[in-house]
Amino acid sequence: MATQPPGYAFLDHTADLGINVRGEDLKSLFETAAKALMHLILEGESQAKTTDMNITVSGQDLPDLLVRWLGEILYLFEGEGLVVTFVRIGFISPTRLDAALRTVPFDPAVHKIHHEIKAVTYHQIQVTEKGSFWEAQVIFDT
Amino acid sequence: MEITLKKLDDCRWLIPKTGKMRVPGLVFSNQKLLEGIEKDQSLLQVANVAVLPGIVKHSLAMPDIHWGYGFPIGGVAAFEMEEGVVSPGGVGYDINCGCRLMTTLLEVGEVRPLLKDLVSSLFNHIPTGVGSKGPIRLSKADQAKVALQGSAWAVKKGYGEPEDLEKTEDRGTMGGADPALLSDRAVKRGLEQLGTLGSGNHFLEIQVVDQIFDPQLAQAFHLFEGQITVMIHSGSRGFGHQICDDFVKEMAKQVSVKGLELPDRQLAYARLNSDLGRKYLAAMSCAANYAWANRQVLMHWTRETFLHTLSTNPKKLGMSLLYDVCHNIAKIERHRVGEDEVSLCVHRKGATRSLPPGHPDLPEIYRQAGQPVLIPGDMGTCSFVLAGAQGSMDQSFGSTCHGAGRVLSRSKAIKMAKGRAIHRELADKGIFVQSRGQKTLKEEMPEAYKDVSLVVDVVHQAGLAKKVARLSPLGVIKG
Repeated sequence: MATQPPGYAFLDHTADLGINVRGEDLKSLFETAAKALMHLILEGESQAKTTDMNITVSGQDLPDLLVRWLGEILYLFEGEGLVVTFVRIGFISPTRLDAALRTVPFDPAVHKIHHEIKAVTYHQIQVTEKGSFWEAQVIFDT
Repeated sequence: MEITLKKLDDCRWLIPKTGKMRVPGLVFSNQKLLEGIEKDQSLLQVANVAVLPGIVKHSLAMPDIHWGYGFPIGGVAAFEMEEGVVSPGGVGYDINCGCRLMTTLLEVGEVRPLLKDLVSSLFNHIPTGVGSKGPIRLSKADQAKVALQGSAWAVKKGYGEPEDLEKTEDRGTMGGADPALLSDRAVKRGLEQLGTLGSGNHFLEIQVVDQIFDPQLAQAFHLFEGQITVMIHSGSRGFGHQICDDFVKEMAKQVSVKGLELPDRQLAYARLNSDLGRKYLAAMSCAANYAWANRQVLMHWTRETFLHTLSTNPKKLGMSLLYDVCHNIAKIERHRVGEDEVSLCVHRKGATRSLPPGHPDLPEIYRQAGQPVLIPGDMGTCSFVLAGAQGSMDQSFGSTCHGAGRVLSRSKAIKMAKGRAIHRELADKGIFVQSRGQKTLKEEMPEAYKDVSLVVDVVHQAGLAKKVARLSPLGVIKG
């Protein structure tokens, strides 16, 4: 099977928005999903001082872990006003991940908002291994 | 799972009980609306809800049904108190997203020349957009009061009049709220968002009453042709989103630990008589109260903006609340099942309560007419005022539709709007729109929604509510 580069596409859902994500392994899948979520929310680069942080997320299984992971990225934006600009997953198992994040404060002068995402939902959540790569689908409430 | 529909009459279709469904589905619709519904997965979602423990009579779908997450949007389901469940996904993330309508003594001719000024003043005074913060900064103690008291807190602080309370569903205060149950994240997100409109489909709209269907009911609601009205559509903001999110996660965990099978994880639930179920309802009530206080504050600023921009006085303006309804809620209500009247937990996700004349929960002023039901349409066409009718108590646990319902996904809407200036198209129709982003405007363009006239015709015909008046948009602000 041909290798698939990491990437994502936005899903067509009548009321809400979703993403379809690919990654060569679980780490790259989860990193790409975070990137896709941030691109759905906004665009623009800020030159402001960045803050690095390490987070650990736990879940019941891979789909739950993905929902909770993206939920953390969304909370940083909605609750703390921080835009995640870079993620690296150091460790991942079906029930836990450790990640290093880089963030900048949200600045309406440089960040152009695309969508208000209310939440990451479990609706039709999928995380699947497809031989040589991983694929996931997530739907957001907007 | 293949969904089959059995036509009962021109406005009712049955989804027969199959597989693990505990009750049949009942869909209020018509032939034209059904063609759209059958293209997405919303009917499957109606069948999925019918699987949940303790569901009573039918899993219901209103004519504005569309594909949601877990429960369909436009879905109503009632659960019995002993064996039944409560599901945060059956309420939605925007707890007590709802609508309020204010009437005025102004006529369209007086307002049209100043319409542009009014729209831009409203846009400058009402905080809108993603993550918008308002001028109100709550202390944690004050936020707890908002969560307990809802609209009553806002009125006490000078945002509006005491008589606004009786013209709000549940008098703007849901009992049983317990702020001690809220997560630090929920508390934090609520501190700066009271008095903000939000984004997406939320809006504030200046309208004109352009058609009266029932003169007697219109009189009872103080509506007349040519009158200016203002509609506000908003909810509990990040505070409510976080509360829902916290409880969906906890319930999803419990469902997985107990090994319960669900057709969709987003349907995660807790028994109504469990600790987790009771906690959710108490936390949800906090968000419901926050949303009512939010709309109360937004109304107050709207009134101030009208007074200032039109250089008039409160008596001449006569801006008065007609009613405020919630669209996303779970409530313990009394309903007749067979020969008995019982308490049930009614979930309305994208549906409106619709109490008939004489119902004991109605305020004295609407006891004879029935509850005002407010149905926002899209920004290019019209909205409706209906009155609750007896058919809703007989068929839909006192519920009716809530709006137009999306028909195009956001990406399809953007594709269709490519190269078009939606704000100019609306301006050509005499509708002034101001929004934070062009994208929102494209996603929310009129073609993205079902024809709201068809939706209200179905509920009128089915006896769930009566048509009273139609309102056309003149000016809109959006996030």
